[in-house]
Amino acid sequence: MKNNVNKTDNGQTPYETARNCRHYAMCKIDFLGSGVCDSGLEKHFVSYYPQGRMILYEALVENKIPITEKCVEIADSCDLCGKCDYQCYFLNEMRPTKVMEALKNHVETFIKEGGKIKPPKEDRMLTEIKIIVGENWATNDEAITITYSHDLSSISDPKIPDYVVMPDTKEEISSLVKLFNKNNITYTIRGNGQNLLGFAINEGVIIDLNRMKTIEFDEKNWLVKVGPGVAAFDLQKQAQKRGFRINAAEPAALVCANIMCSGIMSTFSTTYGINADNIIDAEFVNKEGSIFSLNDISSPNLYSYKNLEHKNSPGICISASIKLHPVTDDESGILVPFQTLENALDFIKDCAIRHIGLALGIVGTEYISVFLSPTKKMASEIKSIFVDKLNIHWLVVVIGDKYAIRTIGEMGFPFFDQNLFNSLYLGLPSLKKAQWLDLVKELSDDEPYSYLKIKSFAELFETALSPSPALYSQEIDKELRPFFEKLFSRQEMTDLVWLNMYRIMSTRLGRKKPFLPALMYLPIDNILINELSDKFRLIAEKHQIDHDFGFITPIDNGKRCIFEYDFFYDYNDPDDIQRIRKVATEANMLIDDYSVKTGKVKGHPYVLYQGFCRKENLLYS
Amino acid sequence: MADKSKPTIALTGATGFLGSHLMSSMLLKGYTVIVLGRSTKEEPLYERISRLLRWFGIENRLNQVTCVDTDLSQDNLGIENEEYSRLCSVVGSFIHCASDTSFSESKRDKVMAANINNLKGILEFSRYARVNFFHYISTAYVAGLSENVCKENLPVTNSFTNVYEESKAGAENIIAQYCDKNSINLSIIRPSIVYGDSQNGRSLKFNALYFPIRSVQSIRDIYLNDLKNNGGKKALKNGIYIDKEGYLFLPLKIYLPKEGDLNIIPVDYFVNATIKIIENCFPGGIFHLTNNSPTRMTTLVKYYEQLMKVRGVEIIYGKSADNLSRNPSEELFDRFIEPYRPYLSDNRIFDRTNTDLVTGNLNPPEFTYEIFKKCMEYAIRVNWGASIFDN
Repeated sequence: MKNNVNKTDNGQTPYETARNCRHYAMCKIDFLGSGVCDSGLEKHFVSYYPQGRMILYEALVENKIPITEKCVEIADSCDLCGKCDYQCYFLNEMRPTKVMEALKNHVETFIKEGGKIKPPKEDRMLTEIKIIVGENWATNDEAITITYSHDLSSISDPKIPDYVVMPDTKEEISSLVKLFNKNNITYTIRGNGQNLLGFAINEGVIIDLNRMKTIEFDEKNWLVKVGPGVAAFDLQKQAQKRGFRINAAEPAALVCANIMCSGIMSTFSTTYGINADNIIDAEFVNKEGSIFSLNDISSPNLYSYKNLEHKNSPGICISASIKLHPVTDDESGILVPFQTLENALDFIKDCAIRHIGLALGIVGTEYISVFLSPTKKMASEIKSIFVDKLNIHWLVVVIGDKYAIRTIGEMGFPFFDQNLFNSLYLGLPSLKKAQWLDLVKELSDDEPYSYLKIKSFAELFETALSPSPALYSQEIDKELRPFFEKLFSRQEMTDLVWLNMYRIMSTRLGRKKPFLPALMYLPIDNILINELSDKFRLIAEKHQIDHDFGFITPIDNGKRCIFEYDFFYDYNDPDDIQRIRKVATEANMLIDDYSVKTGKVKGHPYVLYQGFCRKENLLYS
Repeated sequence: MADKSKPTIALTGATGFLGSHLMSSMLLKGYTVIVLGRSTKEEPLYERISRLLRWFGIENRLNQVTCVDTDLSQDNLGIENEEYSRLCSVVGSFIHCASDTSFSESKRDKVMAANINNLKGILEFSRYARVNFFHYISTAYVAGLSENVCKENLPVTNSFTNVYEESKAGAENIIAQYCDKNSINLSIIRPSIVYGDSQNGRSLKFNALYFPIRSVQSIRDIYLNDLKNNGGKKALKNGIYIDKEGYLFLPLKIYLPKEGDLNIIPVDYFVNATIKIIENCFPGGIFHLTNNSPTRMTTLVKYYEQLMKVRGVEIIYGKSADNLSRNPSEELFDRFIEPYRPYLSDNRIFDRTNTDLVTGNLNPPEFTYEIFKKCMEYAIRVNWGASIFDN
């Protein structure tokens, strides 16, 4: 079948857009309040969400699979409502609706031309699985199985499973495990496919837990019990409604899956902790199909930590009871600018030791420019303004109550408060043209960023930038502008607290290219962090891979921090894939070397399947 | 073309504001100039000098220039031995114009390194070269804060407005001692604040005089945009509006500690007077290139209001703004002009006995509205320097 060559608005063909799907599963959560694909909500298989349709369309164009009954159903189920355009444009500047349209056309043309639709292939195993989960929740249709062949990274080769099954209860999972054991069938658990190392893809059976979305609050005990299909964004939303907050992973990551894989970390980990710090209890189906709880006396000790690369999974996590954290009504966010990483590190360490602020994170100008800007082009322009005109090279994001924010002011650090941030964000197009920035740069000569201490600077800044949702949206595709104007009229879209607690700030980071993060735990040691950054840079440069500092968040009262360094690559370029694999290997070897050399550095991949461990065991043993 | 009767000049700071103007005029007068300067990452020294000569419209004089990449902080100025010896054998006089002009205390180490530490190599070069004269371009403000009448003598005070003044005063004393000890003829040339060319308004740098003007212009533009494109809510809240005659009323009180003036000279005067000094001076001479008719800030404000169609800017002498409630424009302007404040209401009188003697009473012009207009229009045309080399 020929490729649909109609270009989309960003100059890509639908096929190119489909191939560039980031597989972030963000189309499965309603992070913009614009709604989620109706068919996805009804059918649950990823195939019925835009992400699945993108993979499906790519596979059809490449003649990887035939047109099946489910394929027709998936194509038909899209009503071209355009919600995915809003979501995907916000994140990646892509317009999937054209792909959805191309998929429908592709299937319609096939049928019109008398093509034969491949009927379902029943087999004994599928029948047995269906007996456990029901007719609608297991399939071997290639239109569905192909959509489970990818994970987030494409570092691992795609694998098409034989079956995909969506259980609804722990009893069903238990029965499935027993069935697969009996028939010697491999199975792999999948949340939203957010794993980077190929652990969410496999041949055999994929058990997709997305139907199990129970959320039970126990407010008197400050905890919430979540099913394995609940995404971090959805849980945070429910917690916020009740006046609480959870320590949330990336918005589309499923909470249980995230705990299982590596434990949840965020900028709030500064105060909320990591790994076992947030866990009250959890339930599992073990490898034999039996159910156990973390707090059972006879259960395996999941609080321990072993520095092993390939630790076996303790089973399937079928629920987790996690802590709810209190929220006060005077919380706000600020951005504290720095010229050097050393100064930023000193600052976060000091804050963490003194318990100032709820959430702390150092980000670079690439990170903040990409987040603030609605398009790739603007992100690059804004980055040079930050560096060249405002002399800002690093920013520390701080979320805190009024006492914490006041204290930072008293410590003498100038910062962008929430008002200034609003102006900066929604006035970004004016910033590009602002000639007065040259003067601001000279103002900073004696005391960096001293202009931020001018009492009425916020008012002048606002007057100068004339921020508004309309201004912000003027660089967005014309037909999407009305939506984005409305979207950015909503207070939360520029609220640093909301953006951080829902982890929205990092969601645009892969817009230019997907990225592979190197994550590690280490002391907040300027020399060590600079050394590692330099070496990551050299590795990336050696293999001609784009790279940048990700973030640093202090944990455990400033004794350690989480450090992410990012490597960007094109996963449609086989050479880039080869290069990123080499980078990943060398970056991990580097972390290992430092781990041995210093005794204080821990590589994140070792935490795999040990997400329930005590942070003390992880960090200090 | 090169006049062989004139000494070959070694010049530092040729890519800077004063140095480039000096180089240009000396080339036109037939001097051969050895530029001791630096290449940047983006542009070799030769290209930098070529670009400047194009700006001056004298690229045909490039054959009178020898560009030598130097690092003033290194032994032998970072020049290979053979080349160093060759240069020493041809240089007749040395003009040291390179300087770090930052006022910022946070840049103290950098300023001291450039203006004091780097002298060692320059002076050693001059000694090896047995130069006829060592001319040092200093500043009138080495006089510091301590005196009202500033003599054409070496500085004695330890009290300065900023690190720049301090470093230049320190440098004068070091140079004078070195030259005295090594029998090198020395002249020290001390300009006050230098602005663009009084004939055509052209300039290569837009700080000092330009900075307060540029600051008010930025504030004006912010509110004009608010009034014209955004309904003017913010402007009106601060009493800013466009009056019947089309002028922007911008209430802006500028508080200056005392009555006084701004001592400014145009760069064409600086160049003409400096060349006269170089050609006629006596050993040990110190020369103030200052204006006997300094400009009052109220005059500058008047000029500004006329040119920019603004009203409401007011100078208030003798009062501190510390405990007063300020509008946003005033607060920002205050911060903008902070480094320049001591120069805006200056009462120092600069003795010019030596200068008048050597230059034949060559005096800078009075700063008229016409000169102001030419200079500011040029500055705005080249976007305060951002697009100066665009054409």
